[in-house]
Amino acid sequence: MTSHAINLLSAARAGDLQSPSAVLAGTQGGDWKSPARFFAGLRHGVAAVLVALFAAALLGNGAVAAEHAKPEAKAEHQAEASHAGHDHSHGPAGHPTELKKFGYAYLTAYMFCLSLCLGALFIVILNHLFDAQWMVPIRRFLEHIACQLFPTMFILWLPIGFLARDIYPWMSEEMQRNPDHALLAKFPLFTITAFYIISGVIFLVWGFVAHGLRRASLAQDKDGAAVHTRVMRRYAAFGIFAFAFSLTGAAIFWMKALSHQFFSTMYGVVYFAGSVWVMAITTYWLLLYFRNRGDLKDVTREVTFHDCGKLFFAFTVFYAYIHFSQYFLIWNAAVPEETFWYVAREAGTWKWVGYLTIFGHFWFPFLFLLPIRNKLNFTAMSMLAAWAWTCHYLDLQFNIGPVLYPDGLHLGIYDVLSLGGMLAVLTFMFTRAFNAHPPYPQRDPRVAEAMGVYVEPASGKAAH
Amino acid sequence: MNAHGLMAVFDTPADAMRAAEQVRDAGYSKWDVHTPFPVHGLDAAMGLPNSKVGWFTFLGGVTGYTTGMTMIWWMNAFDYKIVIGGKPMFSPFYSFPVSYELTILFASFGSLIGMFLLNRLPRLHHPLLKNRKFCQGATHDKFILVIETADPKFNDQETRRLLASAGSKHIEMVED
Repeated sequence: MTSHAINLLSAARAGDLQSPSAVLAGTQGGDWKSPARFFAGLRHGVAAVLVALFAAALLGNGAVAAEHAKPEAKAEHQAEASHAGHDHSHGPAGHPTELKKFGYAYLTAYMFCLSLCLGALFIVILNHLFDAQWMVPIRRFLEHIACQLFPTMFILWLPIGFLARDIYPWMSEEMQRNPDHALLAKFPLFTITAFYIISGVIFLVWGFVAHGLRRASLAQDKDGAAVHTRVMRRYAAFGIFAFAFSLTGAAIFWMKALSHQFFSTMYGVVYFAGSVWVMAITTYWLLLYFRNRGDLKDVTREVTFHDCGKLFFAFTVFYAYIHFSQYFLIWNAAVPEETFWYVAREAGTWKWVGYLTIFGHFWFPFLFLLPIRNKLNFTAMSMLAAWAWTCHYLDLQFNIGPVLYPDGLHLGIYDVLSLGGMLAVLTFMFTRAFNAHPPYPQRDPRVAEAMGVYVEPASGKAAH
Repeated sequence: MNAHGLMAVFDTPADAMRAAEQVRDAGYSKWDVHTPFPVHGLDAAMGLPNSKVGWFTFLGGVTGYTTGMTMIWWMNAFDYKIVIGGKPMFSPFYSFPVSYELTILFASFGSLIGMFLLNRLPRLHHPLLKNRKFCQGATHDKFILVIETADPKFNDQETRRLLASAGSKHIEMVED
């Protein structure tokens, strides 16, 4: 009797959810494999925001270049440099070589793409740890993105491995011959052998966890056995620890090691929070995209978007909390070994990138996401996705760039090519994987619940 | 004695939900559904907009944040200047943790006060609590829809007919 009632409730609820379909720009029917169909789910707003922001960044970049072309500015800068004396914060000073420029641009693009893949892996793990039903519709495409960690992201990492001696100041020949105290203090870890071994292990860990999770998930599509859910839970349970250690290792070895004198216990968590933050809104956007395209139309409800928006909101706050904690502890302790890192990031236009992190990465999305209706406004959320990608990319520039360009943010052709090329490779690999498999877990025990349909348990049926 | 409202008892959440949709579509404004447990989707069936408590929370939070910042600035940088650890007299960085905690504190006060105001609490008595059928049902296994006589659309005959057509087996006038 009761189950019958709830069944009707679900039906009533499902009927009530048709309203937002008016907001959708999706096209119905048609062959979605044609190129025109590929763009069906895209919004002009996203492209407009991205283009506008990129144009603004290029303009700012030009302004910086013009500022430095002035003779008095140059003299001032030189005076500043000599005043700084044996300031150890800056790596390669003067004019960086083209190889270095490329290396830094590539590293920034790589860390951005890595954010997306790691964020996806985390959300998949989260799904199993909390046995969450609302995540079932988004799980499959996240599994595919997480599986890009190995081997795609490993192959894309190889140029960093080859250019490591050019990118990381501590690996330079001079540093290896006369290591400073900071490098000696980190002796077993910060050696060239350890760098490559640990990097390799990190990729193996990611590959093992991500592929293990996807293998069980795909196997469940075929036979629907509960054992796969248990396998995925086991992967998630140890995977969360493996994830935490490997992500911290990656953030330290590939990003923080640019300033090897620096230390911050929060560094890995900051990168983690930023990664999940950007992936949460990307998930929202992909969900919208695949729903408009039709793949996820059956499993997506208004509440799925609402929950996705809440996850993004939570990580907006979490990232601010974590990054503030890192800044605040360093600011409060005022130890030169730590403060130099932020001092270098207050110079030139880096200051404005820092402000963007405070106001654009936190305050704006935080205030914007407070009302429920904004989380369900697809146009606004798509634009916010473009905004979040920009903020996260510039946040990574803020972490990486000042080592090579102490005077301010530089964006050039290398940045565009690296990011564009890498995203193209990932999109290709992801699309291939996505099209080869069912778009959502077909026989997950919670898929009916996620669709808002009540299915009577087997034991209940026997009783009737 | 005045009548408080017309009470209709339903046996299942689905019945109550369908009745709520009919009452909503009939244009009533002063009515409510009482259930022993939260029923998902009932707010939509009743046509209830999003709660306004969030605004009280937000205002409380803004008040807390500005209070914290202003208080610290006034005490440390204006009223009685003290240099601590060579830090600036006022900085948003060291003021932030305290302001942030005041934000949370005042936001929760705002939520509580907002909830009380919007629910017209505290209130010592409600006419429905005198009704035995209501008290036993709404806290146990019945789903009860009450339309108040104060509703501008209320009409004893028509409202009774509407509730009967919605499938209620027990309709009763609750005295004030």
